[in-house]
Amino acid sequence: MLAAPAGSPLPLAGGTDLLVQRRAGRAVPAMVDLTSLRGAPPPVRALPDGRLRLSATTPIAVVAADLGDRLPGVRAAIAVFASLQIRNRATIGGNLGTASPSGDLMPPLVAADATVRLRGASGPRQVAITEFLLGPRRVDLRAGEWIEAVDLRDHAGEQGFRKIGGRRALTIAVVNLAWQWTLAPDGRLRDVRLAVGAAAPTVIRCPRAERVLDGQRPTRAIAERAASTLSDELSPIDDLRGSADYRRAAAGGLLIEALLPLVGTAPATTDERDTS
Amino acid sequence: MRVNGTTVHPDDPAARLLDYLRDDLGLRAAKEGCGMGECGSCTVLVDGRPVCSCLVLVGQVADGQVVTAESLGDNDPADQPGLADRLRESLVTAHAPQCGFCIPGLIVSAHALLSENLQPTDEQICCGLEGNLCRCTGYRSIVGAIRAVQP
Repeated sequence: MLAAPAGSPLPLAGGTDLLVQRRAGRAVPAMVDLTSLRGAPPPVRALPDGRLRLSATTPIAVVAADLGDRLPGVRAAIAVFASLQIRNRATIGGNLGTASPSGDLMPPLVAADATVRLRGASGPRQVAITEFLLGPRRVDLRAGEWIEAVDLRDHAGEQGFRKIGGRRALTIAVVNLAWQWTLAPDGRLRDVRLAVGAAAPTVIRCPRAERVLDGQRPTRAIAERAASTLSDELSPIDDLRGSADYRRAAAGGLLIEALLPLVGTAPATTDERDTS
Repeated sequence: MRVNGTTVHPDDPAARLLDYLRDDLGLRAAKEGCGMGECGSCTVLVDGRPVCSCLVLVGQVADGQVVTAESLGDNDPADQPGLADRLRESLVTAHAPQCGFCIPGLIVSAHALLSENLQPTDEQICCGLEGNLCRCTGYRSIVGAIRAVQP
């Protein structure tokens, strides 16, 4: 742990954001290095209730390797996160604490209803991720607290993550989408969860689009209707990376692309002619 | 901390690893390009993994093993002795270094890639180098040189 004299030391995880800010002139009086804490948890731990606990202070490359074939949505987000060098340092805790609306690790965690586990002088605390993320770069983190881990369900269905950016590596998402669903034996989508980043003040769930899909057999028409609903649920801004209109359209496009591989996999029936 | 096999005792834990390597230890291979983790010119190995030394504090790797481009051969895998030398020769043969500023960082990333996979596809080479920018070559000669490294 680094020297932490009186005052309010900043928790330092992978440093891939804070040290950039320090170089740019942000006053950083003291830091506490969370990556050197003794008794650190393993990168991934299976909990008795079936959920998985991901360490928030371990480099995401290590978390991804430890996940094996679990949580493909989280792994897909890690795979396109910044660059190899950054993935070898950056942490889930850092991405959550920074709370950029475009942070790539948050959509799969929001889609999974992850719980954020906090530690601090006043004891441990757990917060639902959607309550933890308060706004752009604002989180429910009290002085002296740090992010220790996130807990989430080891979802058995399909999940994934896509982002649109200016280039493949080291790019800030113009918009990103995480999805989870189960394709039931009857060919219908169940337990649909969608989360979009860079299109609202925080990463958000899109419950209206989820309801369009829930219980439906995936067809091109259903995918397009869900995409249209998803676009309406967003409140993006115009900025140098993209316009609000582009973000709405692109997020919908990501959802259609995620659904298209399922179209045609549903058992054919005569009473299910799409009328939408 | 061990740097290129030598135990060192840095006195400022809040210093950037890059500054410590260059200014205190005189190891000038790692370069500061952007200082923001975008360009990869400062790439070194920490415990065998490529990282941007501009985004690591000395105190965060107090128990770590740091290897810079100067001693990359120290990190040759047991089953690939001489890998760092062959990589270096291949880059020179292909005239891959132009101004050369990016090369010490790039060679660390390429070495990490080849240590795990000696016959990467062009796609895998590009992914392995995604964190290293070169503003001279357009990458074609670099990718070709890495492809040409033989077992």
